[in-house]
Parts: sequence; structure tokens; C-alpha cells
Amino acid sequence: MKPIRIALTKGRLEKKTVELFEKMGFDCEQLHHKGRKLILEIPNQNLEVVLAKAADVITYIEHGVCDIGIVGKDTIIEYGGSFFEVTDLHFGACRFALAGKKGFDFYAGHAEKTIATKYPNVTRKFFDDKGIDVKIIKIEGSVELAPLLGLSDAIVDIVETGSTLKENGLEVYEDVAQISARLIVNTVSMKIYQTEIENIINQIEQVLRESEKK
Amino acid sequence: MKHRYLITPEGTKDYLFEEAVLKKRIENRLRDTFQFRGYHEVITPSLEYLDVFTKTESGIPVEQMYKLIDSKGRLMVLRPDSTMPIARLSATRLKNEKTPLRLYYHQPVFSLNPSLRGRSNEMMQTGIELIGVTNQKSDIEVLVTATKVLQDLDIDNFRIELGHIGFFHYLVSRLEIDTDTKETIRQLIENKNYPALNDILDHLDNQKIASVIKMLPRLFGNQTVFSKARDCMKELDPEITQMLDYLQTLYQSLLELGLENKITVDLGIVNHTDYYTGIVFKGYVEGYGEEILSGGRYDNLLKEFGSDLGAIGFAVNVDSAVKALLSTKQHQIASAEILVFSDQNYQVKALEHIAKLAELKITTEYSLFETMEDTLQYAKNKGIHRIDIVEEQIKTIQL
Repeated sequence: MKPIRIALTKGRLEKKTVELFEKMGFDCEQLHHKGRKLILEIPNQNLEVVLAKAADVITYIEHGVCDIGIVGKDTIIEYGGSFFEVTDLHFGACRFALAGKKGFDFYAGHAEKTIATKYPNVTRKFFDDKGIDVKIIKIEGSVELAPLLGLSDAIVDIVETGSTLKENGLEVYEDVAQISARLIVNTVSMKIYQTEIENIINQIEQVLRESEKK
Repeated sequence: MKHRYLITPEGTKDYLFEEAVLKKRIENRLRDTFQFRGYHEVITPSLEYLDVFTKTESGIPVEQMYKLIDSKGRLMVLRPDSTMPIARLSATRLKNEKTPLRLYYHQPVFSLNPSLRGRSNEMMQTGIELIGVTNQKSDIEVLVTATKVLQDLDIDNFRIELGHIGFFHYLVSRLEIDTDTKETIRQLIENKNYPALNDILDHLDNQKIASVIKMLPRLFGNQTVFSKARDCMKELDPEITQMLDYLQTLYQSLLELGLENKITVDLGIVNHTDYYTGIVFKGYVEGYGEEILSGGRYDNLLKEFGSDLGAIGFAVNVDSAVKALLSTKQHQIASAEILVFSDQNYQVKALEHIAKLAELKITTEYSLFETMEDTLQYAKNKGIHRIDIVEEQIKTIQL
């Protein structure tokens, strides 16, 4: 049978995912020493691993070129797509928040507000649900700069500890959504390789339960 | 945009050779599959009024339709789906026909997809609609036909998956929730988002029902699903177990086709819930990330068009099937078997020779070169193994 292919999000979630795999008893030698190889193998498991940027993980899963993906809920909310989102892995936990200059009353006044963000869809949906019109400006880098420079009234961004905000005189006004890593599965793979994939999901859930107990 | 005349619009493409051949082959095979089961072809216009697709919850967002405005300012769309137009024509022009109506179609559908996602905006679809009968026989007929379609594609690893929209309808109707929550629950079941589904259901009063909904997306796989489902639904009304019995009956009948591992169940199929009323099913093939066949029973749709007839049908995404086939097997276009050469005096005779061979279904090309050397070279390049030289007599050279 062809190997089950897993797409992992590079960076923030990568370390935690490898830890999870090791707890499952996978030999992650190749994942520790990647070199220039793009498709990595997990020996004796008939599994292949690719590392990709978060949004690409979703693309690979949607098109079925990878069967299973591990990706942050932030990316799922921003990019959407059709796949099965079967497990909350609980690591990589943080939140989307609306933040801005300390002491500023965001909802005061009648003027249209401007929001800077890397996540325009998340922002749009948040304010749509409240029935508030806002102007959204997409920023690629440090979003925190926007309110400091006077480009926007507030930002919608991922907040982990809040220390970057604090250091720059910003504060969280409101939480937008909770975020953590998720296990996603291509809808067709789930059916064609049901036994193999359910097996992996069960192993993962077992590790999660055990670490919860501790 | 100086060079736009050199390219096709985003999401569309030219079909060349292997792809075109394969596409036609699938089309013809499916056409036979339908025609010899008594289905009749209908062709609906590419342009329809927008109203045809917004009359009911078709599941096609208006933003995804190509819209045009006619000379009277009315909104028109490029057909995004074939079932609605067929429901329209069945309820109008075919209103007085004897039922059952067995119709099939083979035509492209259009949708505006977000760019750079690798989606096609023009897709060839073929499918059937069996209209005017709502019994078990009609369900079986369409299911078996759908299975045959997947078998005929010649992809070894395929699945036909069976579900029933009634479970979802029954269960949510017994919860006191607003339509937004209902839609959220539907989406979570569709995405098999177990954790979020549990969160939302844990807060509801009717835990007897909520606990069954939690199980719904997990109930997929082979025959064992039925006993698991029976187990978790045992405290509910007979209405829901009857649905399960019915689905199991259909499943057992399909097993008679001898495709044990290829027929599966998923009680968590909840797409287009405003449209489907009974059994639903999907077809998958290995190597293609999306379903390539999908269908179900829709007994309320024709009512929207003024005719109270139940119906069941399915559509096959021909382009997806072509892609899946191209990815699993090597497909090469065959070169001609014979190359025919003549000098100027025997041109018509040579072409008559070709006509005779073509009648025998032997692919033959006429050499347009002036010399035999060039002809030989061409045959070698194209991999043609026989040259017929037409003079007073016909001389054959094997290469």
C-alpha cells in the first residue's frame, strides 16, 4: 500500500509535533536531521512526512496530495477549506485578540475604525458577526506597529503571552477566538485508508490522554 | 494585459489529445451506461435565470455563480448545476409525461472559484435523474447504476458510500435550537470536527439526542457501522431505527454486486441538507482528493417548481475522473497504424485506399511529403510501423 503522507506545519508547531510523534514511538531521526530532503520517512510505519508552511498544509490536504495534516486553528479559520478536522491536539495554544493602545475605548465614537491584521478573513468575520463596519488593512510583518504609527485604531493578531503588546504600550481589548493545533484529514483519504488513519488518530488521542493525566 | 489573447481564462483549459480522448471515452461509456438503462438525454441552456438556482437552498452560493445581465436588465447565470434546470423542465415541459421519467445529461457546469487554489471553473458533469418514483426499487436502481459508473472507470480502488440525510433531520428537529446553531452543528458534523461538536452539544438540554448527534460523524466504515448505530440509537423512536433498517437493506442489496470492500456507509454525510430528503451517496477513487460522484434523493425540489414529484439522481464529475485516471495509469495516444504514400498521379487512389482502411477501423494517415525518404523519416518519428505505397499496385513495407 502507498504510504500515508502527513503534512506538518513548520516552525512553532513543528517541535511539539515531533515530540508527539516520539511519544507515539515513531523514529523521528529524519525529522531531527532534515538536511535538504523534502519528503521524510518514518521507518517501519509506512508513513511519509512533509514540512510546509501552515497555509500550504491546508492546500495539500484539500487536494489530497497529503492525507493527514497538523496545522493551527488560526490558519484553518483564516483560509477555510473542506477537510475533516478530527482532533484538537491542545498544543500551540494561543488566541486571536483585538488589541490596541492602552486605555483607548475601541467601541467609542461613530467614526469608522481601521484594523490592521495578517488575518483579514478572521477580522472580517469577527466584525461581521457584531454588525460593525470596519476598514481592514493587511499587514505582512509586525502588526503591532500599525496602531503605534497611527495607521490603524487596533489590530487583530495572535496573542501568546501578551508581552510584545505590553512592551509597546498596547493591550488586549477583546478575545476573538481560541487557537490550538489541529489534526486534519483529507475527506477521501479518511474513507479509502480508514483503518490506517483511524489507527494513527487513536494513537495520537491516547498520547494526549496520557499527557492530560500527568 | 497585452498577451491575454494567448491564454485561456483562469480555471479553464484546452483539452489536448490524451486528455480529450480520455474525456470522450468516459463520456461515451457513461452515455452507454445510462442509455441502455432507459435514460433519455436532455440538454438545458448554458444560460439560466438566476431565480432557478435561488428558488430553493441549492447549496450553491450566489457569489460562486457567473452572472450576466440580459437586455431587459434581468440577472442570468451560467448554469452552476444541472439538477435545478432539470427539475425546472420536468415540472414544466414534462409535466404531463408518464412517470417515471428517466433523464440523463452531459454538460458543463460553471463556478467562480477563488483564484490560485487550483480549482476548475468549468467542469464537465454527467448524471442521471430518476423522477416521479420514491420507492426502494428506484433507490436501488440509482445506487447500482452509480456503482457501475465507478466500476466502468477502471480504477481498482474506489468506494461508494451510503448515507441518509434523515438522521440529521430527525435529530436536530428534536433539539430546541435556532437555525444558526443548527447550521453550525451541520457544519461540524460535515467536517467531522469531533471536539467542537462535543463542546456545542454538551451545553444542550436534550442529552439523549445530543449524545447520538455526537456519534453521527463517527459512524462511518463497513457493515459494523449498523450495529454501532443501532446500539447508540436504541433509546430513540422507531422512526429513526426504521431509517437505519432501510439503509441496511440497501447496503445488503449492494453487496450482491460482489464488491464487499468497496461499499461503505457514513451516517455523517450532511451536505445540502435543505435539498436532500432521503438517502445520499458519494463516490471516491484512490488518487483523487475529492469525491467524483455525488447524489441522493430530493423529494421536495420539484415542488418548488410546482410539481409534486419525488426524485433521486447523481452527478459524476467527468474532469475529476479524467484526472484520477491520468494519475493512475499511463495513457498515450496511439499513433496511426499505417502511413500511406503516393506520388501525384495516385493521390485520389491513395485516399480511397485510406477510406477503405478507415472503414475497417484501422487508423491510417496520408503522407503529405513529396519524397519517400521524408515519408520514412516521418513514420520513424511518429512510431508508425507500416507504409503502404499506392501505385498501380499497392506495395506494403513493414518497418
